[in-house]
Amino acid sequence: MAAPSAAAVRVLQLSQRLNLRLFMLVMAVGLGLSLVGFGQLLLVLTAVLSAADLGLLLRLFGVLLLVLIPTAGIYSLVTQFAFWEGWLAGLPQPEQIFAGLSSPQRCYVIYLDGIHQLERDHPPRVSTFLALLEARLQADTRLVRGLEAYTVLPVALAEDAGSAWFWRRLFALQEHHPNGLVQLLAAVLVQANNVIKVGISSDRRYGPILNYELALKICLRLAEVGFRRDAGSELVLLGYSGGGEMAMGVADYLRRLTGAPVRIISFCGVFSGNQVLDGVAAITTIVGSRDPVAAFGRVAYPGRSPLLPLSNWNRTIRSGQVRRATIPGMNHNGQRGPFSERFRGQVIQQVLAALSQP
Amino acid sequence: MGQWLLQQLERLGAWLVHTDIGLSLLLLVGLSMSLSHVFALLANRLTARQILVHLLLDALMLSLAFLLSSGTDMVLLTLFASRQVSPSDVLNGLAPCLLPAVFYVFVAAPYVSDLIALVIWLMVHLNVVSFLHARFDLPPAEALLLATPGYVLALLLVWVLFRQSWRNSYSKLASQLSG
Repeated sequence: MAAPSAAAVRVLQLSQRLNLRLFMLVMAVGLGLSLVGFGQLLLVLTAVLSAADLGLLLRLFGVLLLVLIPTAGIYSLVTQFAFWEGWLAGLPQPEQIFAGLSSPQRCYVIYLDGIHQLERDHPPRVSTFLALLEARLQADTRLVRGLEAYTVLPVALAEDAGSAWFWRRLFALQEHHPNGLVQLLAAVLVQANNVIKVGISSDRRYGPILNYELALKICLRLAEVGFRRDAGSELVLLGYSGGGEMAMGVADYLRRLTGAPVRIISFCGVFSGNQVLDGVAAITTIVGSRDPVAAFGRVAYPGRSPLLPLSNWNRTIRSGQVRRATIPGMNHNGQRGPFSERFRGQVIQQVLAALSQP
Repeated sequence: MGQWLLQQLERLGAWLVHTDIGLSLLLLVGLSMSLSHVFALLANRLTARQILVHLLLDALMLSLAFLLSSGTDMVLLTLFASRQVSPSDVLNGLAPCLLPAVFYVFVAAPYVSDLIALVIWLMVHLNVVSFLHARFDLPPAEALLLATPGYVLALLLVWVLFRQSWRNSYSKLASQLSG
C-alpha cells in the first residue's frame, strides 16, 4: 500500500473532522426532533392523565430504566461467571485443545462479526463479502467464519443456556410480528445483548474473563480447522464494528494459548483501547470517512482520547504498531457500508494489503 | 470501676437504640458497596464461606468509613459552625443522605459502572450539603466547606479498601490468566 501524500492526509483529517461535526449536528437535530415528539406525547398524555399522575408515571419509567440497564449488564455477567465456574460445560484445558491430528495452514484469518450477529450464519451481505474475500486469499491462508463472538458457549443466542426461551421469543417477534415497531424493538433488544458483551469485554474488571473464554472458543474452532501449535502458523483477527473490540480483547490471550503471532485488522471498528496490546504483532484499522459509529467510539471510550497519553491504546500508537487506512465516503453500514456492493471491493483490497504486510 | 463500665455500656446501648435508623442505613450502604464487587471474589474462585466473610467484613469496614466521615462532619460543625450537635440526631439525619449509595450494587454493571458510581457519590455529597444547610441553617457555601473534608475522608477510605480487596482480586485473576 503506497503511503498517502501529506495533502491527502490533510484532506482526510479535514473530512473526518467534518464528519464528526456532521455527526454532532445529526445528533442535535435528532435530539430536537425527539424532544418535539416527546412534547407531543406529553400533550396526549396530559389529556388523559392528571399532572401528578403523569409525573409519577415519568418518574417510575425513569427508575425502571435506571434499574433495567445495570441489571441487564449484571445478568450478562452471571452467565460469564457461571461458565467460568464450570457450571455450564466447564472450561476446556488449553493444552488438550490442539491435541488431535491436523493439517495446518500458514495463516488463519478469524472473522469476528459486529453486534448485528444473531446466530452462526452471517447475514447474506456479510456472507457474500466473506466469500469474495476468501476467493482472493492465498492458498495457504484459511478464513475461519461463523464464530459466535457474543455468547459464551459455541452456540447461537437461541440455544444459550438459561435465556434461550427469551431469545427465541424475541427472534419470533422480530421476524413474524405484523407491527414494524415491535419488530424493530425486538431487533434492538437482541443487539443490546451484544452491545453489553462489547461493554463487558472493554471493562477493566470483567474483560479478562470474557476475553479468555472467547479465546478458548476460538481455539476450539481453530483446532477443528486443523491449527497446530508447533506449525508456525500466524493468526489474523478480522473484526467488524464491535468485533473489533472483541478482537482486541482476545488477541493477547489467543497469542498465549496458541503460541502463534497475532495480528488484528478491524474495519469500521468500535473499540475501547483498554486492552493489553503489547504482544500483538500489528494492528490495522480500516475506517470509512463517513462512519459516525466508529467516530462515536473514539469519543465514548476515554482510553482512546489523546488526553490520556498513558492509556494502552495511546501507548500502542506510539510504539508504531497501529496502521490506519481510510476509505473515502464509506459509512458504517447500509448502502454505503463496508458490505455494500459499492465499498466491499475497497475493504477487501485494504484487508489483503494489510495481510500482505510483513 | 465495674459500676462505671456498666454505666458506659448502658449509655452506649441507649445511644445505639437511639441511632438505629442511621446505623442500619450505614450498614445497608456498606453491604451494597461490598456486593458491587462480589464478582471479583467469584472470579478468584473463593469458597462460598470465604465470599460471605469477605462481603461482611468489607460491609462493616465501609460502614465504619462512613461513620468516621459523619464523625468528621460533627466535629467540624461543633468547632467551626459553633452548633450544638447531638451525635445520634446528626447520624440519623446524615445517614438518609447516603440513601443513593444503597443502589451502589449497580456499580457491578459493566462499563456504565463508572458513571453510576460518579452520580451516586455526587448525589451523596449534595445531600449532605443540603442537610447541613437545612438542618443547621448554614449558608450553602459554608455547608459545602464543612461537608467536604468528611466527604473526602469517606472517598479516601473507600478507595483504600477497594484497592486492597477487589482491585487485588481482579489483578490476581488477570495475572493468572496471563501466566
